[in-house]
Amino acid sequence: MTSNNSTKRPGGLDRRAFLKAGGATALAAILAPGLAGRAEAAFSGTLDMLAWDFQPDTIKTLVGEWTAKGNPAVNVAVIPNLGFSPALQTRLRGGDAIDLFYNFAYNSQKFIDQGWAAKLNDLPGVDDMVADMFESARPAYVNAAGDIISAPYFSAVHMMHYNDRMLKEAGIAAPPQTLQEIHDASKALKDKKIVDSPYVAYWVKEFCEEYLHTYLLNEGITAFDTAGKPVFADDPKTEGVFAWWQTMYQDGLAPKSVLNDDPGKLSNVMAQGDAAFFVLHHYFLTSIRSLNGPESANVMQSPIGGSNHTFQIGEVLQLGQIEDEERRNAAWDLMKFYGWKDSAGKFTVFNQWAKAAGLAAPYPGFFKDPDVIAAFPDYYDLPLISKTFETGSKVIPARTLPWYPDFQAKVGDIVHALLLGQATPKKTVEDLTAAANSAQKGRSL
Amino acid sequence: MAASPTSSGALNRGDRLFGVKLTAPAGVILAVLLLIPTVLTILYSLHDVPANGRSLGPFVGLENYTIVLGSSVFWRSAWVTFVFSVGFVIFSTLFGLGMAILLNQRFVGRGLARALLIIPWATPWLVIGILWKWFADGSVGGLNAVLLMLGATTDYYDFMADPNSALVLTIIAAVWRQASFAGILLLAGLQTLPEDLNEAASLDGAGVFQRFRNITLPWLKPALVTVTVLNIIYAFLQFDVIFAMTQGGPGDATQVLSILIYRQLFGVTQIGLGSALAVILGFIALAGGLLTVKLLYRAERQSA
Repeated sequence: MTSNNSTKRPGGLDRRAFLKAGGATALAAILAPGLAGRAEAAFSGTLDMLAWDFQPDTIKTLVGEWTAKGNPAVNVAVIPNLGFSPALQTRLRGGDAIDLFYNFAYNSQKFIDQGWAAKLNDLPGVDDMVADMFESARPAYVNAAGDIISAPYFSAVHMMHYNDRMLKEAGIAAPPQTLQEIHDASKALKDKKIVDSPYVAYWVKEFCEEYLHTYLLNEGITAFDTAGKPVFADDPKTEGVFAWWQTMYQDGLAPKSVLNDDPGKLSNVMAQGDAAFFVLHHYFLTSIRSLNGPESANVMQSPIGGSNHTFQIGEVLQLGQIEDEERRNAAWDLMKFYGWKDSAGKFTVFNQWAKAAGLAAPYPGFFKDPDVIAAFPDYYDLPLISKTFETGSKVIPARTLPWYPDFQAKVGDIVHALLLGQATPKKTVEDLTAAANSAQKGRSL
Repeated sequence: MAASPTSSGALNRGDRLFGVKLTAPAGVILAVLLLIPTVLTILYSLHDVPANGRSLGPFVGLENYTIVLGSSVFWRSAWVTFVFSVGFVIFSTLFGLGMAILLNQRFVGRGLARALLIIPWATPWLVIGILWKWFADGSVGGLNAVLLMLGATTDYYDFMADPNSALVLTIIAAVWRQASFAGILLLAGLQTLPEDLNEAASLDGAGVFQRFRNITLPWLKPALVTVTVLNIIYAFLQFDVIFAMTQGGPGDATQVLSILIYRQLFGVTQIGLGSALAVILGFIALAGGLLTVKLLYRAERQSA
């Protein structure tokens, strides 16, 4: 057991052990220091992991694969995605000790500050993990002070899904990229009675905050600076973005139901040919195509934002505050396996998510991995998605600041008021600025 | 001869101890489930409690209440709560009364009809919210199909995307369940009404409305007070149906205070503010219930 303990400490003793043993696994370990999934972990208990209910059987299978390599057993608890954050916070506040958990990126710094999650700095291999990421993705996982606060669960970029047949029928040569182009193309499709409500998006209250960033970035506006100042308020183009948003809804270019529709329904709307444009995470192309609707095969994907950026998102894994060193090392090993690579340097977990739903990882190597390339169906333009991650998208570092969840909770009401015509674009800028400022000050409704 | 404890009104020590023992389990349960959380909530509302709940945090006095009462979000939510509550209380009481009167008549299948009355009440609030969300759906919901069939509309309408119809539908969904609860209680009250009272009034020439006004309603008064007070409390504390149907949207159209409390306590984990909101809502519900009791009994005294 003593030697086993030593394999888990920083400093590479485990690598030497692997070298002694020889073979391909050891070679991979040399090539990718600190990689996950080493056998014979020192910790002999059971780890606790909490996830939301996206493909729970797959989660258990993946974690089971890690355990089968001689690692500790993992008790995986799965709770619904809807209400995950309140449920997780209630559990942690109640004293639940969870070794590894899914989390929304916007909660990550708050969880560190509250002592619910641990910083990952100094854990073996963590710097390699960060170095392995797209530069554009790093600020989502590493805060301005250099603290590594989470690892990726999955990543995505906002893309335009469009119906190629409808565009051709309307005489539109290329998919629209800027907000103005999207409006004009939608209007043309509606006027020509090709489709009644051409544009759909996931504008439910909780998700308006993501679209806020997507649309602002499309116009070259980064909403917050790194210190969290709401700089969108000072940009004269911001009001135009909100005017566009309101027009799309008020003019019926988007259906009234988008305030409530879930993405499954929106994918079906595209598959059935009841809409021509759907802006959301790149992987919704899988949903639309796999529905096999009459228009599924005509739906393609293209970047949005013109020469500007689109929004890069990713939900995260966080490590619990674990006192016991062996337990912590075992949990970190699981985290690396789940949020980076396995001991052979393969993106085993991400590859599975790519196969299951087209989810991506914020690592350039992910897009070059032959298994990953094979996992994505042919209808994906993988180099385009990779390029969008690399140079065509941004994360918003302020999204991980501790006050951000408060702002996030307020955006939905404000944007819905805009869409329903209860607020002007100017008032919306003011309200969002006030919401950001009051969230930063502390207690506010 | 020594006076018996009952005749003097005082219990001897043994009897008092026996009484305490009998009520102790209920007292402990009430303290654990009701008193402790209430005291804690009040305590939290006076502190800036950290999200992790590991301490009370700094004492802030009434600051949380000042923030709440000074916020337009609170007043907007209070107004939505008021509108929802008025609709909920009035319609669930009236429909409950109507159903109780109907089911108190003699007709074939009365037993089955009475059994059916229990179904909405036996269905959890959350399930009712989910059912009504689907029923009101703008593209596949049965409500649109029914309205089209009746000729009330000409096309499918997205009720849940409209702030007004969303609020109305949450009221209807909640009333649908609560009216059956009111109906059950009022039917029980009606079944205790001696038939000879109505027969005598009929012989004296009283019509249906007069009998209802002068016999049935006064007889049902205690049950009606109970039902109304419970409906008021249910109305102010309503969460599940609305959350399942709209999550407070679109915008803040259906954001009742309980949803705002949920958001503050469990979403953004501002425990002090959320607790202050909970205390205020609890006070409003209590005041609403007490006021109703007072008004109903004052009306009774005046009519006596």
